[in-house]
Amino acid sequence: MIPIEYWLIFSSLLLAIGIYGVMTRRNAIVVLMSIEIMLNAANINLVAFSSYYSSLHPDLGTDATGQAFALFSIAIAAAEVAVGLAILLSVYRRYQTIDVDKINILRW
Amino acid sequence: MDVLQYAWLIPVFPFIAFMLISLMPKRTLGWEDGWGYAIAGAGGALVLSFLVIWEVVNGNTLTLDAPRTTWLIIGSYEVTFGIWIDALAALMLLVVSVVGTLVVVYSGGYMHEEGETRRRYYAEIMLFISVMYGLVIADNYIQMFIFWELVGLCSYLLIGFWYQKPSAASAAKRAFIVTRVGDIMFMAGIIILFKYVGNLDFARLFEDGATSTVPGDMMILATALIFGGAIGKSAQFPLHEWLPDAMEGPTTVSALIHAATMVKAGVYLVARTYPLLVQTPESLLFVAVIGGVTALIAATCALAADDIKRVLAYSTISQLGYMILGLGAGGYLVIHSLDPNGYTAATFHLMNHAFFKALLFLCAGSVIHAVGTNDMRLMGGLRKHMKITSTTMLIGALAIAGIPPLSGFWSKDEVLAAVYHAGDLDPTFLLLWVLGIATAFMTAFYMFRMWFMTFAGEARSDYHAHESPKIMTIPLILLAGLAITSGFALFAGDGFKALMEGPIEDLPDVGPIVSGHESASDIAVEIFTDPLTYVSLVLAVVGILLAYRIYYLPGFDRSVFARGITGKFQRALENRWYISKFYDDFAYKVWYGFSLVCDAFDRRVIDGAVNGFSYLGANTGGVLRKAQSGNVQRYASLIIVGIVVLLALLLFVVPWGGW
Repeated sequence: MIPIEYWLIFSSLLLAIGIYGVMTRRNAIVVLMSIEIMLNAANINLVAFSSYYSSLHPDLGTDATGQAFALFSIAIAAAEVAVGLAILLSVYRRYQTIDVDKINILRW
Repeated sequence: MDVLQYAWLIPVFPFIAFMLISLMPKRTLGWEDGWGYAIAGAGGALVLSFLVIWEVVNGNTLTLDAPRTTWLIIGSYEVTFGIWIDALAALMLLVVSVVGTLVVVYSGGYMHEEGETRRRYYAEIMLFISVMYGLVIADNYIQMFIFWELVGLCSYLLIGFWYQKPSAASAAKRAFIVTRVGDIMFMAGIIILFKYVGNLDFARLFEDGATSTVPGDMMILATALIFGGAIGKSAQFPLHEWLPDAMEGPTTVSALIHAATMVKAGVYLVARTYPLLVQTPESLLFVAVIGGVTALIAATCALAADDIKRVLAYSTISQLGYMILGLGAGGYLVIHSLDPNGYTAATFHLMNHAFFKALLFLCAGSVIHAVGTNDMRLMGGLRKHMKITSTTMLIGALAIAGIPPLSGFWSKDEVLAAVYHAGDLDPTFLLLWVLGIATAFMTAFYMFRMWFMTFAGEARSDYHAHESPKIMTIPLILLAGLAITSGFALFAGDGFKALMEGPIEDLPDVGPIVSGHESASDIAVEIFTDPLTYVSLVLAVVGILLAYRIYYLPGFDRSVFARGITGKFQRALENRWYISKFYDDFAYKVWYGFSLVCDAFDRRVIDGAVNGFSYLGANTGGVLRKAQSGNVQRYASLIIVGIVVLLALLLFVVPWGGW
């Protein structure tokens, strides 16, 4: 069984990649993709801790609560991507661009 | 029917007239713009006053068991409105009713050319007379104070009757503000009494031992402060400067203010407060000194005045000084269980002065009406054109100068005698007596200076004088008759003194007074065997002769007044001893400077703080709104930096701090 630390390092790396993408990329689609990567980092954590909890308490049997939450999370992420892409589509129709540096009219 | 029970109706008559004149529709008012209603109001009060006075002369008074109505309740004290009719109140009723009614009658002629504004004039005159009656019959200090303030208000309105003239408007303001200084003192005095006694009814305050709860110092302060009210109202030094300025009003108003209402209220207040004043000899001495100094200063100012009304105004101040001086000296005599001569003499002088001063002012009004100026230097020779006015004014001048057998002689002599006798108790009174004698001399001089300048010699400017209409001369003749005869009240019946001793016959903590006079003949003998009588009489005659020499006979070079020492003196007098200038300078420099400081504090500090907070908010917002850039990636970066910082805090700082 892979120790919990490996999973945590892996998910931290995924999160860092996601953050880096969100903060640096100009294309809104890529920003959206990076957000998906960050979400998956969180899902991995949920699954990893679920498995770790069961291994700490063998007498309780397999507890799949964390894994079920991860499934919920994936479903919600799918819905979120649909909404996000729809927004980006209408932004593009209005401004003919999806460069996040240019979409900054919501300000002082 | 006991007429005294209905004395409260006296102020109601003029008040109804006031309401009618001011509220009637213009078309239905009629009859000379309210003059008829004014006569009716004053006349109704006159008739009722005379009924009340008749009762008092017959020995009836209504003081402790008078009808009262509760106005409001403060703690355990009920503020009541009631009446208090004794000889002193009756004397004031006599003065106010007679002078007030005659002034209203005379106004019909004097104000004839004023047109529509007469309506306002009559309304204000009626209110003035009404509140003066209210003041006179008040039975507690609060009621008295309310009417006291209303009297001040009415004098303000009437002095400023021709408010289009800046000088009249400023004179009215001056009268109001200066007397307000006295009013504040009066109020402070009654507040002190209320604090320690808890009651302001005369019935309670004038009982034996009523003021035993007041500490000695506080009692002196309270009585001195109440007298401070009289200083303002009766134009005593150093608050006397408003009265000469008050000449800006119509002359009838001056007559009313000087003879019957307003300034007499101050003397009345002192006389009314006698039961308290006699408990504090210090205050009495203060009263007497103020009175004596005022009499002298005002008389000197009158020597150099060229405005006929100003001469009369200063003579009023001077005569009021006599009354106050007499009251102060009389109190000293009462304390030492001597004949209360000063009190009776001062109240006697109050009555006589009312008649001859009303006469003098109405004569001056008649002159001004004919000539169209107040300046005596432009008059002269009016005797030929105005026989009735010149004769009646001569009678008035003789009366105020103290020539027997006119009224002024009797009362002025009595006042001076009382002051002289008080000199046995305190040498200060001897000094004040000298001031009084000097004032008597000057009074005779300046009154005849005025008379000669106005009526004798040749006309000094171009005018067509004519005698005033009958509606004006008849009041003059009536008042002249009173100026001649009112002095004989000293000998009528039991005598004026016996009557006026009534209000003070049983003073608290002093006991029954000692009355020195049994009969009228005793009084006459005493007056005419006293050498002091002849001192003042000779001085008065010398004063008249001096005025005759300087202002009537030819050959006197009056330019001597403009040179050297006498010139300096003359200029000091013309500038009223610079007292007025001092007040103006004080107001313009000291007070205006203080006001500028207050203004700067308000603008800079208070407004500055308010504006500063608004700038702070606006500028902070201006800076902070830059954070709202609209760039989502910057928001994300900030959130992440925030999370990192929070995590760092949780991991390192929180365990290290021991939380």
